[in-house]
Amino acid sequence: MAYKATEQDLMAYLYGELEGAEKEAIEKYLEENEEARTSLEKLKSLRLLMSNVKDKEVIAPPLFLGDAPKVRLLDTPYIRTVLSIAASLLIVMLVGKLVDIRAGWSGNELSISFGAPQMPIEVAPAVTTPSITQSNVQQMINEALAQNNATMQVNWEATQKKLDASINRNLDLNSAKIDQLLKESSAASQDQIREFVAGIQAENLKVVKSYFQMNSTEQKKYVEGLLVDFSKYLQQQRNDDLQVVQTQLKSLQQNTDLFKQETEQILTSIISTVGPGKPTGTRN
Amino acid sequence: MMHSDNLIAQAKAGDQNAQGKVVQLWYKRIYNFGYKFFQDHDMAMEVSQKTFISMCRNLTSLQENTRFKSWLYKIAVNYCREEARKRKVNRSLSFDVVWNREAEESPGWESSSSRFDSPERQYQHQELADVLQAALMEVNDEQREVVIMKEYEGLKFREIAEILNISENTAKSRMYYGLEALRKVLEKKNINKETIGYGL
Repeated sequence: MAYKATEQDLMAYLYGELEGAEKEAIEKYLEENEEARTSLEKLKSLRLLMSNVKDKEVIAPPLFLGDAPKVRLLDTPYIRTVLSIAASLLIVMLVGKLVDIRAGWSGNELSISFGAPQMPIEVAPAVTTPSITQSNVQQMINEALAQNNATMQVNWEATQKKLDASINRNLDLNSAKIDQLLKESSAASQDQIREFVAGIQAENLKVVKSYFQMNSTEQKKYVEGLLVDFSKYLQQQRNDDLQVVQTQLKSLQQNTDLFKQETEQILTSIISTVGPGKPTGTRN
Repeated sequence: MMHSDNLIAQAKAGDQNAQGKVVQLWYKRIYNFGYKFFQDHDMAMEVSQKTFISMCRNLTSLQENTRFKSWLYKIAVNYCREEARKRKVNRSLSFDVVWNREAEESPGWESSSSRFDSPERQYQHQELADVLQAALMEVNDEQREVVIMKEYEGLKFREIAEILNISENTAKSRMYYGLEALRKVLEKKNINKETIGYGL
């Protein structure tokens, strides 16, 4: 049977942990099997690559051990487990005792109860009466209905009478009250109208009086104001007229002066033209 | 071996000096395991602290001193899983994701292997390491545990199986599928021997 190297053999060979016949066998296998040889070469290359990861330098720090903890018997896991189970059971029993839990099995029934189980209440059997026929029942119903109807009829009639009497009485009372109220209201309204009209008249009188008073006062004030304004206007107008007259007079005076001057100049020129030796006017 | 069985015996006997020496010897390994698992400084510190406190307290329960390494990693893996569960529940964003204090205070070029490289080469190397670390985070938790323990912690498959309480074959299978997953992630990011011309 041909030898075939396993992955375990390859690893052992790769790390030099094969010796003797095993080593020779795998070497022979690798010579004959190119695929295995290539695979091994790849792993060798990988190892070479991995050798680039160097160790890190580190200084060992001081170790503080202290005293080793003493293991007590109670701290051992086995004892602790047993103790915890025992404690749980004790608690369950204590709680059971306190709340008086009772568990029982009877027949196919499991019962858990707090306190003593209650006895079932006995129910008294129903008393059986002799049976009655349907016609008897029907007759009894009919009798009861007839009796009931008669009673209801009597009651209804009595109620009706009472109701009618009550309505009539109330109507009489109400009509009397309404008449009285109408009379009172009509009497009261005439007096009130008179008072109201008198009040209105008085009020109107006051209003008219005050209106006239106010009106006459206002008119007086207005006329006075008008007269004052008119006198002011007249005064203003007179002043203006005076100014105009004065201005015209001044203008006239100026014109007169001017005319006078011109006249003098003309006379002077005439005199100078005629000459002083020939006085004509004076000789005649 | 990073320590002698004698040192473990002394630590088991309650010698605090010896316990301190063990912590000093293994702290970097456990921290780096945690860091590669979470890609988070605080988480790695948390896991490391818890692991070593637990180690000091429970060292007396270690049956065979020769199995100290597996025993220690088993504690660390358990704390990593616990923290991962908490983180999945809380879904909180680590402050280091926003502000990488570790990277700022202790940059990559201070590491001994690349201390004398040129700044450009240092930067490229750091960038590649970050990409690889991020790719590793995309592999599922079970496979990532095995890949880190095998590839970076150098544990044998037998030891890994013992730590994770699985069979050796299961550990090898997880490793195989973890590497395949990682290879696919890197292929998707177009990171391979040809595209990376440096650091190889």
